[in-house]
Formats: sequence, C-alpha cells, structure tokens
Amino acid sequence: MMARLRVLSGKVWHLPLGFALGLLAMAALAGLRQAPQAGAQVSVFATVFLGIFIEAVPFLFLGTLASGLVEVFVRRELLLRLLPTGAFAGALAGSLLGMLFPVCECGVIPLGRRLIRKGVRLPVAIAFMLAAPVVNPVVIASTIAAFGLGPMALWRFALSGLIALTVGLVFSVERQPQRLLQPAPLQGGTAAADGAILRTSLRARVQQSLQIAAEEFFEMGRFLILGAALAALMQTLVPQTFLLGLGSGPVLSVLVLMLLAVVLSICSTVDSFVALAFARAFTGGSVLAFLVFGPMVDIKSTLLYLNVFRRRTVLYILLLTFMLTLVGAVFVNLYLPWA
Amino acid sequence: MTTRHYRSLQALLLLLLGLFLGSRLWSGQITWYINTRFLPLTLLGTVGLLVLARALFVERAQPLDALHDHSPGHAQTDGEGEPHGPPAGARPWGLLVFLLPLVIGLVVPHRPLGSEALANRGLSAIAPLRAGGADQPLQLALAPTERTILDWMRAFNLAEDPSAEEGLPADVVGFAYHDPRLPAGQVLLGRFALTCCVADAMAIGLIVEGAGLDQMVDNAWYRVQGPIYLASLDGRPIPLIRAEQVQEVPMPEQPYLYN
Repeated sequence: MMARLRVLSGKVWHLPLGFALGLLAMAALAGLRQAPQAGAQVSVFATVFLGIFIEAVPFLFLGTLASGLVEVFVRRELLLRLLPTGAFAGALAGSLLGMLFPVCECGVIPLGRRLIRKGVRLPVAIAFMLAAPVVNPVVIASTIAAFGLGPMALWRFALSGLIALTVGLVFSVERQPQRLLQPAPLQGGTAAADGAILRTSLRARVQQSLQIAAEEFFEMGRFLILGAALAALMQTLVPQTFLLGLGSGPVLSVLVLMLLAVVLSICSTVDSFVALAFARAFTGGSVLAFLVFGPMVDIKSTLLYLNVFRRRTVLYILLLTFMLTLVGAVFVNLYLPWA
Repeated sequence: MTTRHYRSLQALLLLLLGLFLGSRLWSGQITWYINTRFLPLTLLGTVGLLVLARALFVERAQPLDALHDHSPGHAQTDGEGEPHGPPAGARPWGLLVFLLPLVIGLVVPHRPLGSEALANRGLSAIAPLRAGGADQPLQLALAPTERTILDWMRAFNLAEDPSAEEGLPADVVGFAYHDPRLPAGQVLLGRFALTCCVADAMAIGLIVEGAGLDQMVDNAWYRVQGPIYLASLDGRPIPLIRAEQVQEVPMPEQPYLYN
C-alpha cells in the first residue's frame, strides 16, 4: 500500500512536467509558424503570463496561509462539530462557507484541501471549493458594483450556490471518498499532530503555520504557474476576435463566453468588470455563464484541482459544472425577460 | 539531497520570487502587468513570499516533518538523525517550474502590451464600460481636451445624443496601429484598458484621419489633437479625430488606462 501511494504521488509530478514540455513544444511550434512575429508574440506571452502570475501570487499566499492557520489553530473536533454531517446540510454549509473566507479560486482550493485533510466531509469541501470564489463578501461587492443589485448579480450568486450544492450532493453518494482524492490528502495524521501542536507556544504555532503554508505554496504554486503559462499561451495564439465573432444565439453565445472564461482565467474578484464589456453584445444568459463558470473552472483552477482530486473526479466536476451552467444560462436566455 | 538542502532550495526560490516582485514594484514596471489598485495586494504578496522564505530557512534547523507528518514518502532518516529525501513525494526537479516566472521575467525583454497584441485581441468599440457606476457623470463632465481615449469611448457610448459630442476638441495619446480594415489616410490610435491584469486587457482606440499619417509607425506613441467625430468600424460606432497636429511622444509612464 505504501509503495502504491509513493508511485501514485510520483505520478502527480508527471503531470506538470508533461504540461511544461507540451508548453515548450507548442511555444516552439508557434514561434516557427510565425517566424516574423515570433519576437512580438513571445513578448505578449511573457507579459500576459507575468500579469496572471503577479496578480495571483497574493491570493495564493492568503489561501495557503489560511490553510496553515486552520491546520494549526483549528482543532479537527471543533471543525467537525461545527459543520453539519448530513449530505444536503453539509453541501449547503460548504456553499456558504466562502462568506468566512473571502479568497478567489487560487486561495480556496488549498484551503478546501486542508479541510479535507482535517476530516471535513467531501460534499462540504467540494461545495466550498466551487461556491466560495463567488459566494464571498469581496465578489458579492464587486458584482454589485459592476451590475448593481439586479437580476444579474442575484442570479450569479443563486446559480453558483445551486451548482456547488448539486455537485457536492452528487459526490456525497460516494461511500469511499478516498477513491476520489489524490493520495497526498490522505497522508499524514492531523489528529495526532493536533495535540502536539496545541501544546506548543504561540510563536512556535505561527512558525508551524507558516511552514505548512510554504509547503502548500509549492504544492499549489507549480500548478498555478503552469496554468498561467497555458492561459497566456492560449491568449497569445487563440484570437479573441474569432471567439467573440462566433455568434450570439441563446446557446452558442453561452458556449462562447464559457470558453472565453476558461481561456482568460481571470480572478473572480474582478471578473464582473470584464463581463460588463460583453454585456451589450451578448445575451444575458451568456454573461451569467461567464460569471458563474469562470470562477469554478478555468485553466489554472483545473490544474489546482488535479493536485487535490484524481483526474476522473476532476473530469466529473468539470462536466457537471459545465452542464449545469449551460442549462441554467440557456434557461435564463429563453425564459427570463431581462436576458 | 537531504531535507535540509531541499528546504534551502525552496527558501531560495521564494526569496528570489519575492525579490523579483519587489524589484518590479520598486521600478514601477509592475503597472505594465496589473491595475494600479492592486499594488497593495502585490506588496502583500511580496512580503508574504519573503515571510514564507524565512519560515523555510528556520525549518532547516527544526524540521516540521518530525512533528507534523509521518506519512509515506515524507522525510525519512538515514538512521543517523539527518533526514534525507525531499518531503511528501516531492522531487527537486519539480521546483524547476518555479524558475519559469524568473526566467521569463529576466530573459524576455519586458514591455507592456502594444499593437502586436491588438491584432489577436481585436479592437473593442463598446468596452469597457461600467453599468450604472457612480463615476459615469464625472467622466462625461471632464473637459474635452482632458479626456483619454477611454473617456471618449464612454462619452460616445453613454451620451443620449452622441452627435452632441461631435466637433469637440480632442487631445489624446496612444500607440499607432495600421489596421488593415482602414483605408489609406486613416490610422488607429490605441490603448489597452485594464480591469485587473493584462489577462483581461481590452484594446480600445479611435481612428485618426488626416494627411501624412503614413509616417506613423506601428507601436510608436503619438499625441494627436483635433476635432472629434463619430465614425464606424465594421458597423460599430467608433470616435474619429481629424488630426490637426500629430506629435511623436515617449510611452507614458502608465501605458494602460484603468477601468
């Protein structure tokens, strides 16, 4: 069993390496194909990559710091006592937990993983990871600032919460949650460590929190860097003009803006202002889809999920989120007058 | 490689990343990548990286693993008390990924987005505008010669009667872009508008019309003065300046406009 865990944890490393090699190959190909503009394209790629990375670093730091503090200062028993045990109540609580942790997807995934390691049930953690990037005070404020307290903002919060709740419930039927997770979250005995850590001084506990945060920064940061590189490459090579010109029907417009949300990989705390740019040219449902799907699924968050869940689990999460967002947004387009 | 060496390497990487962010903050070039309102957050991130680097340096002497984790793959001892092997299935070469921002940041000549990015992103004639924002009346109240390209777009988009804006004197700065859709004698004067970071940068611009514009070079920066009118590009409204004076200028300290 231990050997198997070691092999699996080694496999986790193959993924970023594969992505890195793929990126290099694609970049080289792109350079060859567009030789006259290669220098300019590399410059655009570098600027966008650094932009995403610099923007995300503080959020990743805050997320990993929160994770370290939860690990050291919040006892497992307390956490389990506070959170509901039932599937529905748990997923609902998970959907609303973001109100206490106002971080975007870069920070929420390490924190979600920490909760799993602490023994929090999977539906709670999955609902938290999906909903928290939207259902949190900062994003609520920025959405209202951009769109006003109208149907767009209300539908964004409601649909995000509903999707997170549904996906959380779907995964609650799994009797052996360990089968959905990467081996890493199963390792380590936090309960044993709790007692030892709580007996140490405050200074030592802060130091321990920081060390855990640093370790997580490396675990999650590599996916963030690769995700940022991939997003920058997509932005450099895939013409946005082509995407935006694809159409404005009730279904196609939704698909286009969902794809754009994935490609842009914008932080959920500010994506409302970007979405406004599309508000006049696209259907209301498609803008809603951009605002709901983007925070849950984009290139960098997908890579971060892969560090927590097995590939098949991530695929299910992506597909479920995709389908539910599509259905919700098309429903809005077809049946609601404001869209 | 011992755990001690692995931690040292991690700490060094965090230190270098922190110094890299700090150097961009110090030089002011950070605004080539993110909106100015996120500068405090970047400062927090920089300090955070340095704090984490210090925590790892301290851990070299007091391995956390001994207290925290006894999992398979975690630091094992060689029987003499010195942990060896990186923790938690990590491999030293996995840290190479963290060199990517440093290598790209130091090797690729850094410059803000310019006209080379415009071809791929396209020009937005309607973005970015805040719906119902309290600042809109203020933007429209700006004196015409103080308006940026973004302000002119807002003015034309939000005015009840856009034709009332026609003929007003404009004085704007932007980079040149010879858009293939434009006829001879017309050039686009563009800027990128940022909401968050360059990932969401939107190209906005207006058309400059006049004699001798063929000498304007793509991606060079110009100050253009003249009366403004409403034109259209691909069927969409876009402001147009009949240039009375065109002057090449250095790139502004903040090349982007912020939404």
